[in-house]
Amino acid sequence: MVFSSLIFLFMYLPVTLLIYYIVPRKARNLFLFFINLVFYGWGEPTLVLLMLASIVINYAGGYFVEKCKPDKKKAKIPLIVTVIVDVGILAFFKYGGMITETVNLLPFLHIKTLEVSLPIGISFYTFQTMSYVIDVYRDDAPVSKSLINFGTYVALFPQLIAGPIVRYKDVAYQLKHRKETLEQFNNGVKLFMVGLGKKVLIANQMGAMWDAIRATTDQNGVLGSWIGIAAYAMQIYFDFSGYSDMARGLGNMLGFEFLPNFNYPYISKSVTEFWRRWHISLSTWFREYVYIPLGGNRRKVPRQIFNLLVVWFLTGLWHGAAYNFILWGLYYGVILIIEKFVIGKFLEKLPSVLKHIYTIIIFLFGWAIFFFDDMALLGEFISDLFNPANGIIGQQALVILCHYAVIFAAAIIASTPLAKNIYTKIKDKRFAFALETVFCAVVLALSTASIVTQSYNPFLYFRF
Amino acid sequence: MKKKRLLLPMFVFLLFIFIMAVMFIVTPKSDYSSLEKRYLEDFPEANLEAIANGEFEEGFETYFADHFPIRNMWVGVNAYANFLVGNNGANGVYNCDNGYLINEPVSDDNRIDTNLGALTDFKDSTKAKMTCLIVPSTGYIMKDELPAVHNEYRDDEYFNNIKTALGEHKINFVDVRSRFKSDAQNGRQLYYRTDHHWTTLGAYTAYEQLMTELGRTPAKKSSFNIKSYPDFYGTTYSTSGFWFNMGDNIELWRNPKAEKNITLDITEGEETKSYNTMYFTDHLKEDDKYPVFIDGNHALETFTNKKVKSGKVLVIKDSFAHCMAPFLAENYNTVTLVDLRYYKKSVSELFKKGKYDEVLVIFGIDNFATDTDLVWLS
Repeated sequence: MVFSSLIFLFMYLPVTLLIYYIVPRKARNLFLFFINLVFYGWGEPTLVLLMLASIVINYAGGYFVEKCKPDKKKAKIPLIVTVIVDVGILAFFKYGGMITETVNLLPFLHIKTLEVSLPIGISFYTFQTMSYVIDVYRDDAPVSKSLINFGTYVALFPQLIAGPIVRYKDVAYQLKHRKETLEQFNNGVKLFMVGLGKKVLIANQMGAMWDAIRATTDQNGVLGSWIGIAAYAMQIYFDFSGYSDMARGLGNMLGFEFLPNFNYPYISKSVTEFWRRWHISLSTWFREYVYIPLGGNRRKVPRQIFNLLVVWFLTGLWHGAAYNFILWGLYYGVILIIEKFVIGKFLEKLPSVLKHIYTIIIFLFGWAIFFFDDMALLGEFISDLFNPANGIIGQQALVILCHYAVIFAAAIIASTPLAKNIYTKIKDKRFAFALETVFCAVVLALSTASIVTQSYNPFLYFRF
Repeated sequence: MKKKRLLLPMFVFLLFIFIMAVMFIVTPKSDYSSLEKRYLEDFPEANLEAIANGEFEEGFETYFADHFPIRNMWVGVNAYANFLVGNNGANGVYNCDNGYLINEPVSDDNRIDTNLGALTDFKDSTKAKMTCLIVPSTGYIMKDELPAVHNEYRDDEYFNNIKTALGEHKINFVDVRSRFKSDAQNGRQLYYRTDHHWTTLGAYTAYEQLMTELGRTPAKKSSFNIKSYPDFYGTTYSTSGFWFNMGDNIELWRNPKAEKNITLDITEGEETKSYNTMYFTDHLKEDDKYPVFIDGNHALETFTNKKVKSGKVLVIKDSFAHCMAPFLAENYNTVTLVDLRYYKKSVSELFKKGKYDEVLVIFGIDNFATDTDLVWLS
């Protein structure tokens, strides 16, 4: 189930909220645990079994780590076993096909290509469960005494399928002691509306714009191609950050507080800064559970470079089982290394405008690598970005740009903190609540209209 | 919380989602959407197997969306919202001046060449006398009504290609572009505002030119009693979601003297029914009134005019021919319309067995560019 669907907004959510607030506080986690499984299993109920298995394995892992902990060396055994099982499950279900295909490239090998469909959210919840056992081992989080509470954490529907990756230690206390308040619920509604609007009213439109531009790749011209990839950049940011906002908003409605996942990444003045602002929960995870254990930046320079490359190889791979994601990860790894060891000082002296232009070009280029899983198509697109033979902008690309100009401009403005700064100034004024209400009502109505229209399909032959 | 009014966003949100949920549950469900011309999803069968393999969930989501409360209103809200932010044509139909709702141009990645090949192959194998009439797109003729930003209607390019290709195989091509352009300039309504078809006047204008080029005498305009029916909401209207646009008028041009000599046989599958009329006025009660002409889409229709002694013509067509066929029936003893979307037997057989003197091909350019059934012609 996705948040931007009619069935979630107008059936699952009202029913969940209603029952959640009717049942006594003690039973709320049990109810959440159950309703999370409905959310996750909707459409593919068998996947619930895999998730339940993962919950039980990691719960047991945490239990044994805790039990052995007086002897740290002994505690390492259940820790390592659990992490290997987690990574193994992820490798099998997410990367099985890719691994067998790669191995088959070797001569004389004909392994049957593994075809398993990717269980939704597995990358997110596996990282969450791993954070639990590791945190228990490191004494950063208390062991969970209740399987239900732990299961509720892993399967919590707001962040289950698209993050943010919530570390156990950040919610351990909330799982047992949260107190839902009206104010928090109200904030959750506002945050959810921001997210829904980002997803349905901006990301979907920018996606349509990018698709339309791609339909005429070779005639778009240089500017047309840059506009196309910029539209994709807007789609991916508003889609992902919208989803994170919705997750945090829903969390609030249930009494949880999750950390922000995005902080206006597109206003960054360097790539290093970009990655401090983009998908924060993932970068944090890799920093805490991979980079720092590898020695981080306390080692000598060559080892630091190696560590960074490992982290960015894995970050790329995490995004999907395809080579372009690895390429994308290493692309950022290399740029970050260059920023860190070579041009960092020089960059700082540049005027802000140039810093922005540099960063924007790097991330737009990155999104092109991210988008095209076919290297030949990527090559063609990159040549479109620079080849003046196709002119500046094609007629069709211009028509598309005019059609989406308003939303595109709105997206660019909304990717800066401008609206937030204005809001901060007026939010304590008397009339603020009225503006908020109007905003929520408009977003809700327009999003509903847009989602309903997706199902409005005049019979094909009736065009004749 | 000190001030209750601060909680207003929450109340609005909860009210909205709960009202929609309750409305969905209590409102009676209709099983047909007349705007979309399709049956809506039934409640899916709920059993363990269907739930386990996801069929139930998928069916239920479609059911939920198909029967969502005030669904058509939401579609309208979305259409106008897109329009207001400058995305006119987001759903494939431009909201134009003077109430015109016009389909966006067909993609230039189309099937025109393939379909031309089907026509020329048919010509080469049957050696029939063939004439082809392609109706220009509404957007091309009514370009003054189009919004400032729109995709290019490339009818000129397409028509020139068609003309050349057909010429090489000795197929006549009736080019109505210049006549249509000047008539439209003079304020004659050749196309509907709310539908993708041409008007009866448009069809008559093309008929006049067609008959003249074939050396026949077209029926005079003065021989018809023209009657106009309001509130026609056709396909572009229902696709667009621009519900505030006005309905169109649809005209029937009837010649009582000729009509009494004409019978119409409609074949669907193995069954043929005979009628003494070419007009099915029951359809005038519906929003989409175009099926008033020969009852809409069928596999095969044959007009017989007992007052005309000779002339047998086979018309390979789409629905643009429906409102022109009554005019043709005044000039030929037999006019047979065949629609390849529904007629699944061999058309060359039909042509040979029926001893037709000539073949007409009548298509709107959009359909000619997208049709996937013409290839079965040969």
